Amino acid sequence: MFPKRFVLKRLLLLVPVLIGVATLVFSILHLSPGDPALTIAGERASQEFVERIRADLGLNDPIWVQYIDFLGNVARFDFGESYVINRNTTVREVLSNTLPVTLELALYGQLFGILFGIPLGVLSAVKQDTITDHATRVGALAGISVPIFWSGPLLILLFAQVLGVFPTSGRISSSFSVSAIRVTGMVTIDTLIAGEWDMFRSAVRHMLLPSLVIGIYSMALISRMMRSSMLEVVRQDYMRTARAKGQGAKITILKHGFRNALIPVITIIGIQFGGLLGGAVLTETVFAIGGIGTLLVEAIEVGDYPIVQGTVLTFAFLFTLVNLVVDITYSYLDPRIQQ
Amino acid sequence: MSSRDESVSRRKFLGAAGGAAVTVGLAGCSGNGGGGDDGSGDGSGDDGSGDGSGDGGSDDTSLLRYGRGSHSATLDFQNSTSGEVAKVTEQIYDTLINFEPGASTLTDGLASDYSLDGETASLTLKEGVTFHNGEEFTAQDFVATYRRFVDSEYEHYAGDDYVSAYGPFTLGSWIDEIQVDGDYELTIQLTQTYAPFLRNLAMFAAAVHSEAAIEEFGTDLSENAVGTGPFELDTLDDSNEQIRLTAYDDYWGDGPEVDEAVFVTVGENSTRAQSLASGELDIIDGIGAQSSQQVEGTDGVELVRTEGINIGYMAFNIAAVEEFQDRRVRQAVSYAINTEAIVNEIYSGFATEASQPLPPNVMGHNDDLDPYPYDPDEAQSLLEEAGYGDGFSFELATFQNPRGYNPSPIQTAETVASNLGEVGIEVEINQQSFAPFLEYTAQGRHDACFLGWYTDNADPDNFAYVLLHPQVEESELTEGQDWVSFDAEGYNTSNRSAWANQEYMDLVEEGQRTTAESDRADLYNQAMEIAHDEAPWVYLDYAEELRGVADRVSGFQIAAISGPYLNLVSLE
Repeated sequence: MFPKRFVLKRLLLLVPVLIGVATLVFSILHLSPGDPALTIAGERASQEFVERIRADLGLNDPIWVQYIDFLGNVARFDFGESYVINRNTTVREVLSNTLPVTLELALYGQLFGILFGIPLGVLSAVKQDTITDHATRVGALAGISVPIFWSGPLLILLFAQVLGVFPTSGRISSSFSVSAIRVTGMVTIDTLIAGEWDMFRSAVRHMLLPSLVIGIYSMALISRMMRSSMLEVVRQDYMRTARAKGQGAKITILKHGFRNALIPVITIIGIQFGGLLGGAVLTETVFAIGGIGTLLVEAIEVGDYPIVQGTVLTFAFLFTLVNLVVDITYSYLDPRIQQ
Repeated sequence: MSSRDESVSRRKFLGAAGGAAVTVGLAGCSGNGGGGDDGSGDGSGDDGSGDGSGDGGSDDTSLLRYGRGSHSATLDFQNSTSGEVAKVTEQIYDTLINFEPGASTLTDGLASDYSLDGETASLTLKEGVTFHNGEEFTAQDFVATYRRFVDSEYEHYAGDDYVSAYGPFTLGSWIDEIQVDGDYELTIQLTQTYAPFLRNLAMFAAAVHSEAAIEEFGTDLSENAVGTGPFELDTLDDSNEQIRLTAYDDYWGDGPEVDEAVFVTVGENSTRAQSLASGELDIIDGIGAQSSQQVEGTDGVELVRTEGINIGYMAFNIAAVEEFQDRRVRQAVSYAINTEAIVNEIYSGFATEASQPLPPNVMGHNDDLDPYPYDPDEAQSLLEEAGYGDGFSFELATFQNPRGYNPSPIQTAETVASNLGEVGIEVEINQQSFAPFLEYTAQGRHDACFLGWYTDNADPDNFAYVLLHPQVEESELTEGQDWVSFDAEGYNTSNRSAWANQEYMDLVEEGQRTTAESDRADLYNQAMEIAHDEAPWVYLDYAEELRGVADRVSGFQIAAISGPYLNLVSLE
């Protein structure tokens, strides 16, 4: 039976969470110094010019009017127009340009983490206390500890500068123009759909280093979790029974152990995804990929309130959504959770 | 029954998930190690090997790749005051008058003749110039462009929330009326004799839209562009932060020498320098000291540098701090700060010490003035003379992020604090991000602050009047007092020092009304001497302009104002 009640309850819980985040963002922005009208007008503007803009934006309205307006707009996913970064363009449009960039990066990072983290974790558990295990564990620890702003430039230096096998920055070579074939906004997928193989190759080559950098952390976390989860499962009675029945070690581990050990790992993968979105900020900066992370940082720097509000709420929405999906998956896999 | 179904499908799910992960994972391991696309070995196999240089694009003969720190999302010069926007619109659009590439002198643009006589500017326009949409350029296009920028009565006025502050700042405040005589004669009546006016016409914000395009696109000109410039818009790609241009074959001026040009955004300075080194970019700008050294140490690329037209300074808020109202204290602080060390150590020598508000390459710069030398003893004796031998304390407001004229604001502030500590002045540093910092200081809440200025039009008025003239009615001034309150009616908040020196103000106003160059230069020379001696600012530095250029690029002319002149660039 599909856990309808559970899902519905969790979906309804999304509403107060998002209102809370919206309120928090609104308060922080309005408490922090910096006059948006001045920001828009720039250093050359006269006071009269600034005043006109302030009136246009409704910044002279009482704060509660602005707050109610804001909540109403949030409900329609309308954050108004960008003040500075992309003036006179709706935040929705700006986000539709940048969100796919970050999602693509996070997806590949996640994929990398899963593809390497899970096998490494299993390997480490199966070969517990051997040199393989130790090496994997040290590697995982290093992966979690090494900051992106260090590993990123170092990888660029090695692969792009010294070896010259990968490009240093961007999402695709500047000799290609991809805006004409835009479908999803993710270049690797768009180029694939369009069947532009040269472009696709370029996009993949550009994506490798960034997804490696962002994926290392994810891989490290997943492999650690996989290892401990696997070790726990291996000690279960049913595993011993399977072995006692004379089943081979490989079959026992892969068929009985692996599947059960995967349950907690799936949770980690989900939660991780939120972390990847955050890690994208640094990766995007280092590799000059203009996603939602760099957008947020820039918006905060220049005081582009609508973009800050839109981005933070989108982040919050994605984060809660991913958590919801994880919870649902989890409860589906392990019905005890629904209690 | 149902629970049995459920357990089966759950098992299936886990089995499938696990199986897929292991299979793909193994495939990834046994492949070329790169893995990580959608698992089709074919894709990843191909791109791991082979065309290392192909992607770098050095074999693409005529695509010029210009790397910079920020993307500019609008293509309309009337929609922004940003220099990033200007870099792109300078390629697509033309102004009536141009700056000579690499110099701050004027040369003809869309106008073949121009003159300013008293309150009247007369211009003769070039014939046979066409817009990218095929329309011929006439005086009417300039009128429509102007009205779209500043005239709220005009049916195609772009709107208060759309137009940039440059509308009134450079044109609207000075133009009384524009008369058109035929298609190619323009007469512009000014509200007063305003000597810098022709230079304002050379600014990117005074470029010319096509009237037909204004009517067709309205404010959508922020995403479309129809100019008369050397390049036409191909694509504005916000998602990849690239702007692609193609050569306009019917361009009236020199070039372009390449078929295509693309503006690429690489935010991180060091990554941008690396992209230049690896051949992914041809020209880069906006590089700080560290990345410049990186460029200098790389084969195949060159660091090109030139004197900038800017100033970095520390302004005293004379209205707010009693001590600063004594000229000797301001001079003492100027002597006590080791600007030579700041310029050479902190800015790595990519700047020169400043002596006055006007940088060296602007008319009116007084060559006889030297920067205040580092002399703590002189500072101490001046302080004692002023009655502040025991010192005092003030708050120094600074922005945190590097800016061209002050690449390390925090470090600079710390140096200032330690220098002044030696003469008994205690400095408390108040650091803020740029937007709130601007607001804080524009309201006059600072004791002293760092700031700087990049010129708009390379005219002395753009420094002397804009930054140090209070611009208030005479009734707001107090006799015998050389400062005015920030709260005074109509106060020019760009004057962060509240300085209102009558003699200086007279000279600068006279400078606005004097059109003969040598007379003007003389007036500003005198004004600079006053500004130097009265020291409303501590003059910190004039920052250099720095670009990284690949060896395969030729014809690149570095310019401190206007540009980049991509039409003159060719690729080997």
